Amino acid sequence: MSQGSNRPHPHNHLFGKKVKPKNWTDTVKRIGRYFSNQKMLLSLVLLMVIVSSALSLLGPFLIGKAIDHYVVKGNVDGLTKMLIGLIFVFIGQSLSTFLQNYWMIGIAQQTVFRMRKDLFTQFHRLPISFFDKRQHGELMSRVTNDIENVSSTLNSSFIQVFSSVLTLLGTIGVMLYLSPILTLISLSIVPLMFFGLKWITKRTGVRFKEQQRNLGDINGYVEEITSGQRIVKSFSQEKRVIEEFLVKNKRLRESGYWAQTFSGFIPKLMNVLNNGSFALIAGIGGVLALNGKISIGVIVIFVEYSRQFTRPLNDLANQFNTLLSAVAGAERVFEILDEQQEENDETDAIELPSVKGKVEFQEVSFSYEKEGTTVAGLNFSVKEGETVALVGPTGAGKTTVVNLLSRFYDADKGQILIDGHDIQKVKRSSLRSHMAFVLQDSFLFEGTIFENIRYGRLDATDEEVIKAAKLANADSFIKKLSKGYSTVLSQEGRGISQGQKQLLSIARAILADPSLLILDEATSSIDTITEMKIQEALQRLMKGRTSFVIAHRLNTIQKADQILVLHDGGILEKGTHEELLVNKGFYHSLYHSQLKKEA
Amino acid sequence: MWKVFSYLKAYRLAIAAALFLTLLELGVELLQPLIMAKIIDQGILKSDLGVVKLWGGVMFGLAIIAFIAGVANSFFSAHVSQNYGFDIRRRVFEKVQSFSFVNFNKFPASSLITRMTNDVTQLQNTVFMSLRIMLRAPLLLAGGVIMSLIVNWKLAMVLVVALPILLFFLSWVLKKAGTMFRDVQDKLDGVNRVMRENLMGMRLIKAFLRRDHESDRFEQASDELKTKTVSSLRLIEVSIPALLFVMNVAILLILWIGTKQVSLGSIAVGEVVAIVNYSFRISSVLTIISFIIMAFSRAKASAHRIGEVLDTEVDLSESADTDQSLAIKKGVVEFKHVTFQYPESEVAVLQDVSFSVKEGETLAIMGSTGSGKTSLVQLIPRLYEVNDGQVLVDGQDVKLYPIESLRNGIGVVPQEAVLFTGSVTENIGWGKEHATEEEVVAAAKDAQIHETIEKLPNKYETRVGQRGVNLSGGQKQRLSIARALVRQPKILMLDDSTSALDLKTEGKLLTALRKYSCTTFIITQKISTAMEANRILILDDGRVEAWGTHEELLKTSPLYVKMVQSQFGEEEFQHVTGFKQTSST
Repeated sequence: MSQGSNRPHPHNHLFGKKVKPKNWTDTVKRIGRYFSNQKMLLSLVLLMVIVSSALSLLGPFLIGKAIDHYVVKGNVDGLTKMLIGLIFVFIGQSLSTFLQNYWMIGIAQQTVFRMRKDLFTQFHRLPISFFDKRQHGELMSRVTNDIENVSSTLNSSFIQVFSSVLTLLGTIGVMLYLSPILTLISLSIVPLMFFGLKWITKRTGVRFKEQQRNLGDINGYVEEITSGQRIVKSFSQEKRVIEEFLVKNKRLRESGYWAQTFSGFIPKLMNVLNNGSFALIAGIGGVLALNGKISIGVIVIFVEYSRQFTRPLNDLANQFNTLLSAVAGAERVFEILDEQQEENDETDAIELPSVKGKVEFQEVSFSYEKEGTTVAGLNFSVKEGETVALVGPTGAGKTTVVNLLSRFYDADKGQILIDGHDIQKVKRSSLRSHMAFVLQDSFLFEGTIFENIRYGRLDATDEEVIKAAKLANADSFIKKLSKGYSTVLSQEGRGISQGQKQLLSIARAILADPSLLILDEATSSIDTITEMKIQEALQRLMKGRTSFVIAHRLNTIQKADQILVLHDGGILEKGTHEELLVNKGFYHSLYHSQLKKEA
Repeated sequence: MWKVFSYLKAYRLAIAAALFLTLLELGVELLQPLIMAKIIDQGILKSDLGVVKLWGGVMFGLAIIAFIAGVANSFFSAHVSQNYGFDIRRRVFEKVQSFSFVNFNKFPASSLITRMTNDVTQLQNTVFMSLRIMLRAPLLLAGGVIMSLIVNWKLAMVLVVALPILLFFLSWVLKKAGTMFRDVQDKLDGVNRVMRENLMGMRLIKAFLRRDHESDRFEQASDELKTKTVSSLRLIEVSIPALLFVMNVAILLILWIGTKQVSLGSIAVGEVVAIVNYSFRISSVLTIISFIIMAFSRAKASAHRIGEVLDTEVDLSESADTDQSLAIKKGVVEFKHVTFQYPESEVAVLQDVSFSVKEGETLAIMGSTGSGKTSLVQLIPRLYEVNDGQVLVDGQDVKLYPIESLRNGIGVVPQEAVLFTGSVTENIGWGKEHATEEEVVAAAKDAQIHETIEKLPNKYETRVGQRGVNLSGGQKQRLSIARALVRQPKILMLDDSTSALDLKTEGKLLTALRKYSCTTFIITQKISTAMEANRILILDDGRVEAWGTHEELLKTSPLYVKMVQSQFGEEEFQHVTGFKQTSST
């Protein structure tokens, strides 16, 4: 067994590490791969680009002809025929431009949609430990800000780049035909352009990445502060957070400033090179003309064409900017996609069709960080249908036991068996499908109370939901809400108390009707009278199912078949309530501490 | 919305410089054909190499000037746009910090986040682009028309007629796209919201195997965003071929009319050609215009959304009769017939609540789930405004205190331990500005968390993530208690914040708290904790059911007796009540 090596190492991207520029051509290729399943539409777009480019050249060409043949001669009748033809050319041009844009936007947004979905799916495949050190807002920024960067580029860049290249090639062809020497002179700027671009790219690429990172950082900070607004307000620390925000804001401004400035150089560089080549053509062309090597007409036409030549170059250069920022965004998306997933279930992982509920921990050790241990050498077994209570001082490892059992984390050493099956060899989904949880922090989604309870079993009917709520003693307070079960809870669960949230979480678990029930401080915020009322329901729920209960109020667990007293990651005592009291050990002192305090 | 754009005023000079530089660049561009003509006419045609060299050199020099102007423009544009974005982010953040909870209800967190990042980026990019290329389009447009008018105003009338049609159409697109992009940003909020919920509820989602369910939700939000984006972009992109067609038809018209005139001999062929050329230039500007419209309508949408935040009226603020010198000195708290209901609800959560707490005393607050305990204590730091009655601290209505000095005297430990990304020291020291290391350690010791911290890999420098990794629920609670203690508050409020502590630790904590000369409110479920307090307040459905000492309540409050019974077995019940009764008599 080598579970230890399976566990993904904690990642440290957020803190400390510097941004490294990646090979951006790889990133571009990878974005390109997203297009691959839209080849049909994409080739249609390409076709339309070719058609519209050709027609946009044909129009002026025909007009030139019209001028030569009819306008000069004042031939209105001939012209009219020609113009009717031209109308069709223009309709074709507009139509093909329309279609290329129409389709391209669809393709681009579909691509972005898929990228988002991939990112989302990946988040769900990542182990819980991935999220431990990351700010929610920072991760959210990748789904919004970074992907939006890609999005705005894909819409226009693809068409622009393609049509620019087309025009460029066409123009070079004509230029070569007119004068190879002047063409060479015009093209002499290309290597310069190449080096210039390389110089700038090297600088901007990193800056854009930095900018996106700083933006993510701000996003993270804002999310965190907004979530913790109650604390900020109660402690009246608004000034402090504004100061802290300012630091991050400045950092973003700094990186944004350089990213934009450098990227702003690109079109200017193009311009100067174009202007330079313009001057070269004029100068050298002039000299050549004086020597009788070429005609003046050629120079005139050539200058016109070299302007044609520079326009697509300029367009390309402008696209380059957005491309760079898109690459920076995409890189941050791919960074997440490349994170090591929660190890896949082993290929021979099995499904557990049903679970009776026998649980064994054999020499289980685990730590969240690489150093130190959280639990060490845990040994215990639970018969099917038993209720096990985990007690002990805070930080003793109670929640960790639950985390390991449900495979939120995998044990470093030892084995956990359910019905004799090593859970490492059971599919996670199958394992968890037999469990229901009431977690320490009762999380509610934005949505109605119906939806929130139904989360326990999605196909439950309204009646079943209400029944579960009644068992959890939540029905009475729900009825008092303005819209009863259809009351929409806000994301922060404002409007209902912590204890009521716990009641809803319990209702959710009741509805799930699992073989294994895990209650982690399920009633900690509920008053004891209400607790007594739901205790009965919980007892009924726990009957016949293996249950793990973590509680500080010892009176709630006295009826447990087995009480495990955890201390410093190990089992200090185990037994029933009565046995442990007789032992006069840790549990005994814990139990009597309240009475002793008064004496 | 215009307010948002008005922040640009601060950068008037830089904007002027950037625009001037753009003009300079444009000027060079326009001069070049003229110089070219000179080279041909006076140089090549007259075989004068000197002229060719001279003007060739001038051209080269101008190119260099254009380059320098362009590069300088980059600096100015980036300066303006980045500072502008910086300003807006700062203003929005500061505004949000002044929000009351009522204001927060209007803007979900996910939406505030999008507004502060994505929307600002949109604005920023638009400003940057505007300063660099925006001027070109109208100038080329106007230049083209004016030149045509000069060449032959009669023929150019075609353009004069066509142009308003174009402009009218463009402004319609701009308006329409502006509203559409607002929807796009709203949908982006939606994506953000689902994403945030998923991150926050990841454990629950994994526990209940709801990945597919969540994927569906995300896909729906994401699909809505896609659909909106596609239709908004299409509106703009698709309007361009239409405009192009109008322009092309105008050109054909010019040709046709021109030819007629030529045949009549009233116009020179060269004039027709020139106007056709100018028309072509105008239509080549259309691509830039589509870009500008896109940028502007997005900026308009984003500015609107940012404006919404900035224009929000903060409903909880200091009134005119605030006494700036007031600060909490003793910590005496009194509630006089307080009635309170949350602004968004119709039911009062507190009704006619009256009680008082003396300096240094401890009041335990008990009551069933949802009886209004948390709502009650949060009125003291004035997180919400009472609807009726008064909350007095040191004999003064809390409304008279400057909010900051009121809250500075109060240490709050909320029910849910909220920690921030940063080290343990930072998290504890967060409670007090410039807290020294000794103060932090002392607070940690009193909060019974010092030993745990010492066992962490980097002790006090261990980083705590947003979710407080590696810390158990109880440890997080104690960290947030330490955070409140480091303030040396006059009023300490523990909102059920010892629920995850074992009784032993809790006992030690309560003993340590006695050192602090502060008035303490403890919301608790545990009788054993409540018994430690001077008095106990029992809330039932928002009303005071009973208020007094443990012994008094045993006699007067049936609810309290029921609570005691629920927590102690028969034997212990006798013990607790009997023991206390004998000791008090």
